[in-house]
Amino acid sequence: MSGTPAPVIRVDGVSRWFGSVVAVSDVTFDVAPGITGLLGPNGAGKTTLLRMMTGQAATSSGTLTVFGQPVRDNPPLYRRLGVMSEHETVYGFMTGRDFVRMMGRLRGVPALEDAVDRAIDLVDLADAQHRPMDTYSRGMRQRMRLAATLVHDPDILILDEPLNGADPRQRVHFQHLLRQLAADGRTIVLSSHILEEVEQLAETVLLIVNGKLAASGGFRAIRAALNQRPYHVRVMCDSPRKLAAAIVSLGSVDAVNIDPDGAIVVLSRNVLDLQIELPRLAQSAGISLRRVEPLDDSLESVFGYLVEG
Amino acid sequence: MGAVYLLTLRQLSGRWRILIMTVLAAMPVIFAVLTLRSKDAPSVMEFEVAVLSAMLAGSIAPLVVLAIAAAAFANEVEDRTIANLTLSPIPRWHIVVPKLLAAITLAGPFIVVSALLTAHVSFLGDATATIAVTVSALAGVALYASAFVWLGLVTTQAIGIGLLYIVLWEGFFAGFVSGARLLSIRHYAIALMHGMDERRFALAEHLSLGAAIVTSIVVFAGFLLLSVRRLRRMDIP
Repeated sequence: MSGTPAPVIRVDGVSRWFGSVVAVSDVTFDVAPGITGLLGPNGAGKTTLLRMMTGQAATSSGTLTVFGQPVRDNPPLYRRLGVMSEHETVYGFMTGRDFVRMMGRLRGVPALEDAVDRAIDLVDLADAQHRPMDTYSRGMRQRMRLAATLVHDPDILILDEPLNGADPRQRVHFQHLLRQLAADGRTIVLSSHILEEVEQLAETVLLIVNGKLAASGGFRAIRAALNQRPYHVRVMCDSPRKLAAAIVSLGSVDAVNIDPDGAIVVLSRNVLDLQIELPRLAQSAGISLRRVEPLDDSLESVFGYLVEG
Repeated sequence: MGAVYLLTLRQLSGRWRILIMTVLAAMPVIFAVLTLRSKDAPSVMEFEVAVLSAMLAGSIAPLVVLAIAAAAFANEVEDRTIANLTLSPIPRWHIVVPKLLAAITLAGPFIVVSALLTAHVSFLGDATATIAVTVSALAGVALYASAFVWLGLVTTQAIGIGLLYIVLWEGFFAGFVSGARLLSIRHYAIALMHGMDERRFALAEHLSLGAAIVTSIVVFAGFLLLSVRRLRRMDIP
């Protein structure tokens, strides 16, 4: 084998707007086999993008294909898709096993009972399979939904915030399972607003901010690109002039201004550097920091990720 | 299709819903028994207008069907479980038809039994009249179900809009404006009843039996096709 694997999912200039609100704006990328993380803050457009990728929502412009075929209104193609939406509602009156069986039946699974056994074993819920799902914990419901997503052994898995509600043990189990499925040659797209989740799983990352593809590629490259992105930070302290003079000495800082109200506004290209250096500078100068906040709304969430990371 | 049918039956057969439908369906029967025992028993014409047309065909049947059929999709859209069905590799009509059949299966017996008993009691066992009332009631259930299943797919306000249609359009406008009856399911059902037993229910202003049958088939199939089309084109939440 040589070169880049053929894209399984191709998103080409896709936009989606709802009235005057643009949810997804001119997004282009390919998804190849393996695990791809769709990362972005809440409201960034990830779910809308995933819904279009599964044919559940129409594009306003652009084209979207899966295995070279349009995915919208193409039911035969859905046999190859396993989709787990972010919505956790289940048919509470059904037992977990009945739910997985029904999903298998709808997807035309042969040897249904064996497939149901296999899917439930994969998510380690055999003990609870005969209980109604309205008695399940949130994490159990998620796992049983995953079993239903896997019952027809799909080539592509599209998972929207799949780790919501999972406890640490379940997360580890889930991550192990996804790696195993990816190693078997499946294409997995999972979305998250938590950097660490994607970092631990995805080989490729698509960063969505405000409906736009802000960055894509390997995780390290994305992280480096984010770190070098210029942004404004507002710093409140008890000695602004003294701290501003110290901040100017940082190599990653492009500009420092002091507002009339005494707040320092820093323009930086490296949030991690600023995050580390700012408290150190303040401490060495004997200055008390009162508040540090990003000013650029569109980058606020990105800033948040990086601070968390 | 069996999986969707059974799922929908289970979703729609809540205890309270069944209880309310039972009470509603019993009302015409009770009314028929009580009025016929009274000294001033109404004439056939009066009974037909007040009970069969106004109460059963005009209120109870559409209300019962609305409560069931509108929920066939609306509940899944609201709960956001509908993607479980729409992401299945099956034609969209394999989803719509079983949902519609489940709604008819659930609402049908209540209305049909109610119509059968009411007619049997009222017309002292006259088979032709009883069959006419029962068949037209079943046709009405199927027509309303087709329309309200579609309505549940189109809007989250299906119950409200359905009530407006039943009360304002069918109950009010169609009573005064004869042209409005051309868009009234209630009047198709009544026309079927009249056509099947002209001897007892002859009213000149209604559609002929043939026209009522053709119109009913067109309306039923039309809403079914609209539902399939809607399911293909809508954004799934």
